[in-house]
Amino acid sequence: MAGFLGSVRRRITPQGLRDAQQDAAADPVVRLLSDALSADRVRIDGAHRSLHGHDASVFDGGVSGPVCYPTSTEEVQAIMRIAKEHKRNIVPRGAGTGLAGGAIPLGAPIVVAVTKMNRILEVDVENRVAWVEPGVINLDLTKHLQPLGFHFAPDPSSQQVCTIGGNVANNSGGPHCLAYGVTNSHVLAIEVVLPSGDAVMLGGVDAEPAGLDLRGAFIGSEGTLGIATRVCVRLTPNPPAVKTLLLSFASIGDAASTVSSIIADGIVPAALEVMDQRITQAVENYVQAGYPTDAGAVLLAEVDGLAESIEVDAERIAQIGREQGALEVRVAADEAERAALWKGRKTAFGAVAQIAPDYYLHDTVVPRSALADVLEKVYEIAERHDLTVVNVFHAGDGNLHPLLAFDARKEGVLDRVHAAGAEILRVCLDAGGVLSGEHGIGLEKQKFMDEFFTDDDLEHQNRLRQSFDPGCRTNPGKVIPTGHSCADIAALKRVSNEVWV
Amino acid sequence: MDLKLDDDDLNSCVQCGLCLPHCPTFRVTGDETMSPRGRIQLMREVQYNDAPVTSEVVDAFSTCVQCRGCEPACPSSVPYGHLMEQTRETLVDAGKMTPRWQQLALKPLANPRLLQTGSAALAVVAKTGLVPKRLGLPDKIPVRQEPLTASGTDVLMFTGCVMDAWQRDVHRATQRVLEAAGFGVTPTSDMAPCCGALQTHAGMTGDARSLAESMMRSLSQGQFAAAPILVNSAGCGAAMKDYGHLLGTDEAAAFAQRVYDVSEFLADHVDKLEEAFATSGGKAVDLRVAVQDPCHLRHVQRVHEATRVVLKPFVRELVELDDDGLCCGAGGAYSVLQPELAGQIRDRKVSVIEAAAPDVVASANPGCSMHLAQAEVSTIHPMELVDSALNPR
Repeated sequence: MAGFLGSVRRRITPQGLRDAQQDAAADPVVRLLSDALSADRVRIDGAHRSLHGHDASVFDGGVSGPVCYPTSTEEVQAIMRIAKEHKRNIVPRGAGTGLAGGAIPLGAPIVVAVTKMNRILEVDVENRVAWVEPGVINLDLTKHLQPLGFHFAPDPSSQQVCTIGGNVANNSGGPHCLAYGVTNSHVLAIEVVLPSGDAVMLGGVDAEPAGLDLRGAFIGSEGTLGIATRVCVRLTPNPPAVKTLLLSFASIGDAASTVSSIIADGIVPAALEVMDQRITQAVENYVQAGYPTDAGAVLLAEVDGLAESIEVDAERIAQIGREQGALEVRVAADEAERAALWKGRKTAFGAVAQIAPDYYLHDTVVPRSALADVLEKVYEIAERHDLTVVNVFHAGDGNLHPLLAFDARKEGVLDRVHAAGAEILRVCLDAGGVLSGEHGIGLEKQKFMDEFFTDDDLEHQNRLRQSFDPGCRTNPGKVIPTGHSCADIAALKRVSNEVWV
Repeated sequence: MDLKLDDDDLNSCVQCGLCLPHCPTFRVTGDETMSPRGRIQLMREVQYNDAPVTSEVVDAFSTCVQCRGCEPACPSSVPYGHLMEQTRETLVDAGKMTPRWQQLALKPLANPRLLQTGSAALAVVAKTGLVPKRLGLPDKIPVRQEPLTASGTDVLMFTGCVMDAWQRDVHRATQRVLEAAGFGVTPTSDMAPCCGALQTHAGMTGDARSLAESMMRSLSQGQFAAAPILVNSAGCGAAMKDYGHLLGTDEAAAFAQRVYDVSEFLADHVDKLEEAFATSGGKAVDLRVAVQDPCHLRHVQRVHEATRVVLKPFVRELVELDDDGLCCGAGGAYSVLQPELAGQIRDRKVSVIEAAAPDVVASANPGCSMHLAQAEVSTIHPMELVDSALNPR
């Protein structure tokens, strides 16, 4: 298990920023890229290459080659063709908020940052779709649609910064995906630039496009099949009424069993989110939304729909909560209180630095009925390894996010984080869970793929990947574990930070 | 190299990226090196890994507007502004940032006579049309101005450097409003020539410290010792409220406690203004007013709501700008030093202003109003609006 968590970011090797500009300038690929885009949108300096070696995860060891900022499908095609011609690898990147290391470049590939492709191209209210570029920020899209009475339903906690392209790559979820479904249910068509440089349209605006659902295969492929350059998203009408309840409990177990009981009762709330005491305290310290900091756990439940029906659902949820021992049930009085509560929930991970300067966030899904049991084991594992764990998660669909908070400057702490992380994942898998709920496999879970999938499964996944990318050049070294993927992993590891090729 | 950044401060960022959309330079470039997260990571690379301070690294630091819009967005409260100020101080001391001519350009701010003379000379030159437009100077620089006069010692009104030279009418309006609320006002004028904000932003922290010390001495004597110090320029107010950090003494921290933005102070006395309004038979200003929150009022002082409280009774309609308080690109001297980025950032702001369709934009910071005026946006200081409601002409 050792080594799946790399050294943390501040222990980067000294050569991390050494300027390889002179070597790079002599690289014919850089000249070709600059000609195809423009010199100021192909960056080869140490600062750019170093920063694009990371995303928001704790994983390290990435080093970027030239960083390209295309602004059109044609430019992405040109980059792909140059890469193909010169046998270079490509790593696509959105806002760099991934937590599984999916955007970390291995072996100095060309990094394609889509942040400048951030236009909302067309909003078609009649057909309830919008065409957007991949660099559009999730929340910007929703804000743009709000006045028209619509929103984009997937709402990851990072929605104020993450991109639609990243949502497609990771098949992102979010609190409201309990009722509305994840990204896969909200993307109808994708224009993709394949590793060959050809642009193809996967899926379609029609309800039943002909042929295999390659759109579905692409969503969640974590950048290993090509680069999305235009995305057709579904517009979701804003609900006529919303009610947000805050329930507090003495223990996280009570909160978890309330969640199971609510679903068992036949109610499908828009969202069911649980936070334990430690993270609630950190969050409240930041947002001051009135979260109870003395409770063992809080449950944020939201119902939406027609005013009459949500009244009934809200009352029923409150009742179930009380039966499960809720200390307090509060309904957000107005939109401002509701917004403050959600702001707290959605910034929870970022608030962790109040507890410790580093964190390793897990992402697994377990059956709802196993929630209370698994949580108990998670706390037990953390305690045994002398680590701080906080739990904040999408309880409604059993999507756990145990978060180990630590200070990497302390000797030996990383080994304990490694060990505890692996144990937590095993407990979840043993309870009938899956590897990842929404953050993806990336670098993080690659080594566990063997345990979850059979050789046969992996073989077929790899063949699908190769049918899109026969040269294994887009986001190499991710998702599919060594031994099953294209034989590029060994080669990647030999590339030193100092060189390009 | 050692940037002399505090270890805990530098390690309080978990690199989650929630700051990115709140950073004006990241918004217009989509470039990680121009984001708070990226800049913090570069500070770490330089301080911990001895990464070379290349021109790109210097660019990353010098393109920061220091609006601090990232701070309220940060769930872990990373003290980004202080990290950036310290980084610049270290790099300036090492001769890697803020060239000598820029440092010299800031010197006259500390000297009111020199500043007034320079400003008057500039006014004459400006009339010839020889001053480049990109410098963002106001259309009319006054050649000669009547001095401000004290009306009492209840409160001190900080007048500052550039603002006193170019926008003394805003001070007159502010003084009339304070007097209408029943306060005797002493303008600080030559007693406290400059707050040192621009020097701090440029990394010339030594100069800023001596300005702070001299201001504290002169504004703490005799009859002024306990008087609230009211500031109508958001950037100056933010800098003065930070003297405790700048000087690191209890005395400075206590001095900073006396500093208020003028609207922050008046928000508690709106009833008195409304009384004066009723007696004088004043008339609410018949305009649709958009409130533009200066970053150092909203993100640093965090008292921007007060502007609305004070303005509301005195104008026909208040409208909000739908951009979560994103910076306008003025940033003190930023619009002069980084004209291209400042222009792109302003373009964004202007389109948000156009969407709100106001008659006028109220901004409580002289830098923002001058920068926006360059893009043909009609701007006014909130105190001028209140003043014209109280004293219709």
